[in-house]
Order: sequence, then structure tokens, then C-alpha cells
Amino acid sequence: MKYKNGITQKNVVVKCGADKFLPFALVFGLYIILFGTVSPGGGFQGGVIVASSALLLYLGYGYKTASRAINSDVLRVGESVGATLYVILGLIGIFVGSVFCRNVFYNIGPVGDLISGGTITFMSYAVGFKVLCGVGFLLLLLMGVLAPDGDDGKEAKE
Amino acid sequence: MKTKTRRILALCCAALILAAGLYALVWAKATLPPTYDGTKQEADGAAAIIVQKNLGEAYAANDVASIVFDFRGYDTLGESFILLTAIAGSFVILAMSHHGEEDEKDEV
Repeated sequence: MKYKNGITQKNVVVKCGADKFLPFALVFGLYIILFGTVSPGGGFQGGVIVASSALLLYLGYGYKTASRAINSDVLRVGESVGATLYVILGLIGIFVGSVFCRNVFYNIGPVGDLISGGTITFMSYAVGFKVLCGVGFLLLLLMGVLAPDGDDGKEAKE
Repeated sequence: MKTKTRRILALCCAALILAAGLYALVWAKATLPPTYDGTKQEADGAAAIIVQKNLGEAYAANDVASIVFDFRGYDTLGESFILLTAIAGSFVILAMSHHGEEDEKDEV
């Protein structure tokens, strides 16, 4: 297999492309997460876009730099934190006397504002955080399989 | 001889099904009311219910967000748990494969 050892040669074109696109991917993904409830988009899609920045790092700089720049422990814990936050925000609906996932604390400001949607806005953020961490961790794992032997960082052993 | 009759029978059945389907299509086109003709500006049917009653029921500006996180909150919850399970499974498999390689190296 040609790509068995992953990316070792750092092509300057790919590196410059990764440099240019990394901030745009991060900002665009965070924008889609933040405005998921008032515009097309949502937590899941924005989270995947933010997580793709890990892939850009890998394409530009290889596994060693990417795994050093991204803390996989934080990502692993963050995914569980996001899922727990979603359940807690859904349980708020029960505590105010309605059903699970009921939208409460609505009508903060005019309709169409960023947090006018109530709890579903924050549930969207929780899902976005969870997907960001989860897909980023998955991409790091897959990069670790592709990592060459000499490039094997400490994170790959987990 | 037997296979030939069977083949003819199969062809007849196929032609019958095709004709029935074609007739159903023509009948549906002729009798069913049009759902969307490309000229109407306001929603109708289920879309009208969602668009008109969403603000009163779910208090959210975006209909899709209110469906995904309010009306179908359990669906989103299960979706995120599917992602969690998938990542946990791939973590176990990939970490095990890595450990296996290391063990082999240690043995060699």
C-alpha cells in the first residue's frame, strides 16, 4: 500500500493550504454551531466542520504535530460532557412541569435573536460540542493508525 | 420446453405489472390534487401546520431546530448516543490493534 505509513513528506502547497483554511474552518464551524437555531445549520454539522480542522493539521504537518497540538484526553472527556449536558438540558423540561426536551426559557429578546429559542439553543450547543470532540477524537485515532513507526507519539498508545 | 413456457409466463407477468404501474401513475396524475405547483408562496398541508403553529407550540424561530431538539428530542439523543457508541467501539478496536502490534514487537 502506498499510504501505509501515512503522510511523511510535507508538501509546501498542502502546508500553505492547511495554514490558510484552518482558521476559516474553525470560524465557520463555530458560526454554524452558534447560529444553528436561527439559521440553516446546527450543532452536528458545525461540530463536524470544526473537527475537520484536525484533518487539515494532519495534512499539513503530519501526525506528530497534530497529536501534539490536540489533546486527545480533553476530546475524549469532552464528548461525554456534551452528551451529559444535552440530557441535563432536556431534563429541565421535566423540572418545570412539562415533558422531556420541552423548550423552556423562551422569548428572551425578539424572535430571531441568537438565544431567543430558549433551551433548544443550548441543547444545540451541547450537541455541537459533543460532535466536535467525538469526531475530532475519531480522526485522531484514525491518524494514529496511519502514523509511521518513527513518528509514533505518546497519544497513539492509548 | 418447460423452461420456455416459464419464461413466457414470467414475461407476461412483468408486462402485466408494468401496465398496472403505468395505469396507476396516469390515474394518480389525473385525479390527485397537486401538492406543489411552483407558483404558490404560502405553505400547505403538514408544512403549513409546522410553519403556522410552531411559534405557539415550541416558541422557536427556526422550525427545523424546534423539530430536531423539541419535538424529536429523543431522536437527537439517540443519534448522539449512536455516535458515542461508534467512537467508543472504534477506539477499542484501534487501541487493541495498536497494543497488539506493540506486543508483537516486544516479543520479537
